[in-house]
Amino acid sequence: MTRLWKEFVRIVAGVVAELSDQNAYQRHLEAHGAVHSPDEWRRFQDENSASQSRRPRCC
Amino acid sequence: MGRILGRILWAAISLAAALSLAAVAQSRGEPVNSTWLVIASVCTYLVGYRFYASWVAARVMALDDKRATPAERLRDGHDFEPTNKWIVFGHHFAAIAGPGPLVGPTLAAQFGYLPGFLWIVIGATLGGAVQDFVILFGSIRRDGKSLGQIAREEVGRVGGFTALVTVLLIMIILLAVIGLVVVNALKGSPWGTFTIVATMPIAVFMGLYLRFWRPGKVVETSLIGFVLVMASVFGGQIVAQSPALAPWFTYSGAALAAGLIVYGFFSSALPVWLLLAPRGYLSTFVKLGVVVLLAVGILFLRPELKLPAFTRFVDGTGPIFAGKIFPFCFITIACGAVSGFHSLISSGTTPKLLARERHALSVGYGSMLLESFVAVMALIAAASLQPGVFFAVNSPAGVVGATPDAAVATISGWGFPVTAADMQILARDAGEQTLFYRTGGAPSLALGMAQIFVSSGGGRALLAFWYHFAIMFEALFILTTLDSGTRVGRFMLQDMLGQVWPKWGQTNWKPGMLTTSAVIVAAWGYFLYQGVVDPLGGINSLWPLFGIANQLLAAVALCVGTTILIKTHGAKYMWVTCVPLIWLVVVCFTAGWQKIFSPLPALGFLAQADQLAAGPQNSTTAALVFNARLDAAVTGIFLVLVATILIDSIRVWIGILGGTRKAKSTETPFVPSRLAEEL
Repeated sequence: MTRLWKEFVRIVAGVVAELSDQNAYQRHLEAHGAVHSPDEWRRFQDENSASQSRRPRCC
Repeated sequence: MGRILGRILWAAISLAAALSLAAVAQSRGEPVNSTWLVIASVCTYLVGYRFYASWVAARVMALDDKRATPAERLRDGHDFEPTNKWIVFGHHFAAIAGPGPLVGPTLAAQFGYLPGFLWIVIGATLGGAVQDFVILFGSIRRDGKSLGQIAREEVGRVGGFTALVTVLLIMIILLAVIGLVVVNALKGSPWGTFTIVATMPIAVFMGLYLRFWRPGKVVETSLIGFVLVMASVFGGQIVAQSPALAPWFTYSGAALAAGLIVYGFFSSALPVWLLLAPRGYLSTFVKLGVVVLLAVGILFLRPELKLPAFTRFVDGTGPIFAGKIFPFCFITIACGAVSGFHSLISSGTTPKLLARERHALSVGYGSMLLESFVAVMALIAAASLQPGVFFAVNSPAGVVGATPDAAVATISGWGFPVTAADMQILARDAGEQTLFYRTGGAPSLALGMAQIFVSSGGGRALLAFWYHFAIMFEALFILTTLDSGTRVGRFMLQDMLGQVWPKWGQTNWKPGMLTTSAVIVAAWGYFLYQGVVDPLGGINSLWPLFGIANQLLAAVALCVGTTILIKTHGAKYMWVTCVPLIWLVVVCFTAGWQKIFSPLPALGFLAQADQLAAGPQNSTTAALVFNARLDAAVTGIFLVLVATILIDSIRVWIGILGGTRKAKSTETPFVPSRLAEEL
């Protein structure tokens, strides 16, 4: 039961991280060999906004 | 032993589905408990997933985990990234779930709860989920390409271009109709208007906070945003009760529409990080949270459905929208059963994240089943209202009479008793001046949700809070769809213009950006405004138009899906997509034909225009006549566009099946996966 609960929490945390672009940001840092900084976050936002704003949300 | 137990379990689930469906379908006269609907839908979804979808995955698609997905082959740390199945599921569901599955079933409840319920469950299991799944599969096997690209490569250039134009037109109608839902929910409501207006500076604050003060802290920013939005829901009550402040937030439909149009333009032109992104984060979390809250509320409280299984309006004389149960129930439900729009998501981000091919089953098929369950919950919330209240809230003044006394007399005369005093007390408890003529579905859904939440504790004193919380929840993600839809529409227009003059295709070229933003906003703004001034409330015209458009886009997706299946297996499995395709084509073309040519003015656009032209003339008559003819023309264009794709597809199918055309598939060659054991 504890294992199932931990797995559930892990998945929820993963979904939250994906929806909040935390995972995408981590991938961005790895791809650029960078570490987190305010400037790096802003660079990520600017790069990400191009694809984000082309993403339709459904009705 | 395990196998026998498994068979017994699935037999029990199948039996539960059959018995509860029978209980729901057979019940007449007595109120039905919503538990039956929950059991019937969940068990049907389970059976559909376990047997039909798994069979499609194994036999028709031959999903193969040994085959590398685009996420693995094209991994770039940006768009393409192998991701955990359930995380992709959450991401995909958040993208496909919008206002449609909430509003559509609420409006379709005018036929009674049964027709809508059956279509939501059956339509999703055999149609909507299959469409999402097949397009996701097609995109995975084609490097994560979009629906338009797949249509162009598999069907032909005509099909590809037509699909692009169809999507753009559908987007315009979608944005107009969801804008109308928000306008109708907020007109004359200082509480609701204050709350929604407050979300705009809150979103900008979140954008600045995330950009400059706490870069990267999205969850923290979203929590702060949520607290501020909740504070604005409480603050709205103070505003509504203040004689000095209330007039500042009390607007007519036309004024709210104008405000929404201006907002749409700025949201399309402003940097994504300032408004669109923070609002997107906030609305996604609020949306998922409220869906879970509603599910828990319904499961624990098990409200009784007060609407009958069928109402007298199956004959086409409904006050919310005109038209008989066939085809208009299927058009109105829209996204809760089949949504063409989902094919854009299934061929967008999702195929670029799937780590294994078999994950497409739970993500593509399973997410649509969950969306369908959201539609069932919305239907339960709406059907748990007293029928008289439901029709008083949702019927326009042009149908039931311009005064409360006239409205209740008309509605009671239909056999759904309600009094003006009842409505006055309900409006007071909900913190509104009046709840009459609140067409669009959002207010009645908010009332139904509020009653469910109130029943779980806190008493009637909290009805006003929960009502406005529900309105905030609906408006928040409708506005997010409006923001992103306007921007996506702008990019699509720029892409199309860029084919003629490349400068227009540069998305950072300011004149191009501002002009195309203005064109898109003006296009949906025009339809929004015509809905606001429509004497029948606008929903009667615009929602069916949106429903037809959305289902036609599903027909386009199923044409593409059928082409893929024919190229893979010949005619053997084409029925998997052809059966829902034929159904949708029959439904959409029947509805489209009736909306254009029906001699009944409440139903047919041309008859409505003729009636208005022949009647007494005033300053708005000419505009109303033009609008009705424009709606007829738009419906006609939709039908012609889809007929073009359909004919083009059939030409390809006949060629392949008849042996005169080579079944040239654009599927990427097999590459063995190295991730098979990792995820």
